[in-house]
Amino acid sequence: MFNDLIALTGRALKKWIRNPAAVLPGFFTALFYLALFGNSFNPTSLIPSNMGGFQLTPAMLQSIKTSILSQTFGGAATYISYLTAGIICLILVFNMAFGGIDLVLDRQLGFLSTLLTSPISRASIYFSGVLQNMVKAMSLAFLTFLIAIILPNGLQLGSGFGVLDLIGVFGALALLAFALSCVFTALALSVKSIDSLVAIVNFATFPLVFTSTALFPQAGFPSWLLGISNVNPITKATDSARLLMINGTLSSSQLSTFTGDGAYLIVFALVMAILGYIAARKALAPV
Amino acid sequence: MPSIIQAENLSKLYPPKTKAVDNVSFSVEEGEVFGFLGPNGAGKTTTIKMLTTLASITSGKASVAGFDVSRDPSAVRRSIGVVPQELTADDELKGIENLILAARLHHVPRSEVPGRAKDLLKLFDLEEASERRVRTYSGGMRRRLQMAMGLVHSPKVLFLDEPTLGLDIQTRTKVWDYINRLNKEHGLTVFMTTHYLEEADGLCNRIAIIDHGVIKVSDSPKDLKEKFGGDVLSISVSGDTDLTEFLRTVPDVTDVSHEGLVYKMKLPKTEQALPVIIEGVTKRGLKITEISFTRPKLDDVFLEVTGRSMREDEGGGEDSWVQNMNLGRTN
Repeated sequence: MFNDLIALTGRALKKWIRNPAAVLPGFFTALFYLALFGNSFNPTSLIPSNMGGFQLTPAMLQSIKTSILSQTFGGAATYISYLTAGIICLILVFNMAFGGIDLVLDRQLGFLSTLLTSPISRASIYFSGVLQNMVKAMSLAFLTFLIAIILPNGLQLGSGFGVLDLIGVFGALALLAFALSCVFTALALSVKSIDSLVAIVNFATFPLVFTSTALFPQAGFPSWLLGISNVNPITKATDSARLLMINGTLSSSQLSTFTGDGAYLIVFALVMAILGYIAARKALAPV
Repeated sequence: MPSIIQAENLSKLYPPKTKAVDNVSFSVEEGEVFGFLGPNGAGKTTTIKMLTTLASITSGKASVAGFDVSRDPSAVRRSIGVVPQELTADDELKGIENLILAARLHHVPRSEVPGRAKDLLKLFDLEEASERRVRTYSGGMRRRLQMAMGLVHSPKVLFLDEPTLGLDIQTRTKVWDYINRLNKEHGLTVFMTTHYLEEADGLCNRIAIIDHGVIKVSDSPKDLKEKFGGDVLSISVSGDTDLTEFLRTVPDVTDVSHEGLVYKMKLPKTEQALPVIIEGVTKRGLKITEISFTRPKLDDVFLEVTGRSMREDEGGGEDSWVQNMNLGRTN
C-alpha cells in the first residue's frame, strides 16, 4: 500500500512540477490575493484624515489604526498580518476543490481503469489523490507565507515566533488541507465529468469561505452567521494560524483556544478521511 | 489442460434494462490468440471489462488464469496485462518513466525492473525514444509503449482492447507483427477485441463474432470462412448448353446462377471441385474460356451471421471530446 501510494503520488507531482502552466499561476495567485485584498480590503486605509472638518494629526490617525487592528483584527501589526492566514486558507480551499480535475481526467482518459486492473490497493488510489493535492496546496501555502513576509507593510510575525509556532501554523493548515482533500478527492472519484465537479465545487466553496473568518472578522457577523462560522473548519484553521502568526508566544487562554481548535480540526480530518474513503471505495468498485 | 479463460453464461445488465452482454460462453486455451469481433456497442469492451475485473458480472461466471473473476479479483489482476483502447501513458513523463511506473504498480521486484524495461524497450523498438517525454511520441510509438506497459510484469494473459484503433495501416501492420511475435516466440495468451476484420483474420487462432451482446458464431477464421463464406467461382463457356443442372450436382456447390454464358457458384474449396467441373463441361462438348474465383473474407462471414455489414454500425458512444483527445494522441 505504501509503495503504491508513493508511486502514484510521485507520478502526479512529477507531472505538476514539469508543467510550468500548472505551477506558475499558483505563485501569481498568491501574490495577487495578498496585494489586492491586502490593500482594497484594508479598513485602516479607509480612515479619512479630515473628519467633519476636524483634521486628524498623523499621530491620531496612527492611534485609530492601531485601535482598529487591536480591537477588531486580533492585535495584528498590519492588516496583511491579519489577512495572511485567511488568504492561505482561501488558496487551500480552491486548490483542493479544483485539484480533483486531474482525477476526473484520469478517469476519462482511461488511466484510472489501468490502475483498477492492476493489483494495487484501492486505498492507495484514494490516498494518493489526497496526498498529491495536499502537497501541491501546502507548497503554495508556504510560498504565500513567504510572499506575505516580503511584501511592504506585509506580515509581521508576533514577538518570539519560533520554529514550534511555524510548525503549529502549518500543522493547523495541513489538517484543514487534509480534511478538504479527503472530501474533494472522494467527490472527484465519484463524478464522471469535469462539468459536474466544477458545478458542485462552485456550489460548495463560496459558502464555506464566506461563512468563515478567512476574510472578515466575526465582529460584523449577525448571530445566525456566527453560529455557522464557529463550526466552520476554515474558521478553526484560520483562527489557529492567525493566533500564532500575530502573537507568537501565546498566553494560557490563547493556548487553550489554539488547542481546542486543533482538536476540532483533528477530529474533523479523521471523520472526513473515513467518510471520504467509504465514498471512494464505492466509486472505485466494479460497476 | 483447463482453459486459461473460461466464461460461462456471462451476462451484464446496465440498469434499467440495457443488456450489454447476454448469456455468453466461451473458452480460451493457453497460448492462443482469441479475437472478439464485432461493431461498436456489440458487447466486446463490456466482456473485456468483466474479465479484467473492471465491471461486475450480473450473472454467470468467469475465470482467468484459474482464478474466479468475482471471488478472487486480486489474483486475476496479478495474472493479467491490460492494454486499453485509450492511450493512457502520461504525456509529461518519459517513456522509461511510464514503463517503470507500470512495473511499480504491478509490484515487480525493484531489482528486476531495469532489465525488464530494457528488454521491452528493445522488443518494441523504443530504446532510442525512451528518454523522451511521451508527448513527443507518434501514435504508433504510444501504442507500442502501451503494449510494453501491459507486459512489464510478465502476465499470463494479455488483454488488448482494439489494439490498432485509429492507427494508419503501416503502423497497424507493425503492431500486428508485435502481437504475432509475442504469441509465437513467447507463447503469450492474447485476448483481443477488434472491429477490424482483417486484424482478426491475420492474428487470431480463433474468433467469436459478437453482436448485440450475443455470440453469433465462434471458430477459427479459416473454418468460419469455409463454413459461411466459401469461394465464389465464375466460369465463362463457349456454346449454349445450359450447365445449371450439372453444376448443381457437383458436390458442395451451391447458389448456382448464370448470366448468358457466365456461370457463378459458391463452393467451400475451389481446388477440389474445379477438376470435376472442368471434366463435366468438357464432356458436354463445351469449352471453358475464362475461370476466376474469389476467396471469402471475414466481411462475408460477418454479413452472413449478423445480416449486415460491419461498417453500418460504426461510431462509438464515448464522449466526443474524449474520443477527440485520444485520436489526437494517436496522430
